[in-house]
Amino acid sequence: MAPLSSLYEFPEWLNMLTAFLIGTGFGFALEQAGFSSSRKLAGMFYGYDATVLKVFFTAAIVALIGSQFLGFFGVLNLNQVYVNEFYVTASIVGGVIMGAGFIMGGFCPGTGICAMSIGKIDAIVFVAGGFAGAFLFTETYPMIEGLATAQYRGPVKINEVLGLSPGVFTLILVVAAVGMFWLAERAEKRFARPDITNDL
Amino acid sequence: MDIRKKVSLLLIMLSIILALLPLTANRSFSEEPSGLLAEVLGEDVSFTVDEVAEFIVREDPSVRLIDLRPEEVYRKDAIPGAINVPWAVFIESDPDAWLSNREVRTIFYSTGNSEADYALVYARGMGYDNSYIMDGGITEWVRTVLETKFSGERITARENALFETRRRAGEMYTEYGNLPDSLKVKFLESRKFSAKKLDGGCE
Repeated sequence: MAPLSSLYEFPEWLNMLTAFLIGTGFGFALEQAGFSSSRKLAGMFYGYDATVLKVFFTAAIVALIGSQFLGFFGVLNLNQVYVNEFYVTASIVGGVIMGAGFIMGGFCPGTGICAMSIGKIDAIVFVAGGFAGAFLFTETYPMIEGLATAQYRGPVKINEVLGLSPGVFTLILVVAAVGMFWLAERAEKRFARPDITNDL
Repeated sequence: MDIRKKVSLLLIMLSIILALLPLTANRSFSEEPSGLLAEVLGEDVSFTVDEVAEFIVREDPSVRLIDLRPEEVYRKDAIPGAINVPWAVFIESDPDAWLSNREVRTIFYSTGNSEADYALVYARGMGYDNSYIMDGGITEWVRTVLETKFSGERITARENALFETRRRAGEMYTEYGNLPDSLKVKFLESRKFSAKKLDGGCE
């Protein structure tokens, strides 16, 4: 009962190959959904295109429901699934930087690489900027270490903080997501921009 | 119906099923590592064997003992009333099964201190502040409680009480260990009954 690679003791090459295939599939799906277009992505902020919200939130709730069921039937040991550690300050500061970069650059890191792979010049510049940021972060880390590790809360889960069972929390999140989709579609109609298309 | 509405409906229905299922297995440590370490290294998380002996003799209902040793060892000898949850089973299952009642103090013990210490970190990390260990495990229990001897000329009242508790706990331990499994539960019940009769209180 564990994630695949530790369940079957994959050799290193098979582990890498699996990651490569999953990554390729993910990139292909992103590109097919039009996520290599910064116009579509930026539409999220202006309200004329909420595809980003709908796609990523749907992916998240499907994965959430699926993993809960797999866990319940004993196929997946959820205790062995890594839970990200929560640093409050770093999450807020990082979120603001990420959001600003997203609206300015027109991509998020994954979709940036996706767009770069189909040869978009703005995406190449975007990814280069991302690497520069990573380099800068590493070089200045001793100076910002206090900020990066402040207010550590451990690998907490929201349902545990709220004292809810994982199933009840899933239900609340799914209902909230469907509500958001409905709102997003209303916003799409209201802020519609027929002049913006997926064509270059 | 629109395909998106169908998918939304399907997801909501699946999550309603999830909300009704008893999903408690996936829990995470709720405490900061340094805080947890300081807590489990503190004095307040362990009981001495003498304190445990007193709980046994008094048959304290607010205390529960969990024996983390393998089943075959537990069958040979165990502290009366202790439940056997081998360490390997304990770490694999949801601790809520044994620790959900916060009113009851749960005391872990193993042969030495190792498994009991691991169990304590695990349980306290999960937020069960009602978990403790018996310091020194069964080894210390046998050394202190069973092999206790008084040597000297005079005995103080306090020493006498301690000695008496150890003797009674030791007696219970030996008596309990010699019983066949089928009679062990009855043994505890009968003791409770006779204790009540002796106290002569109103029920």
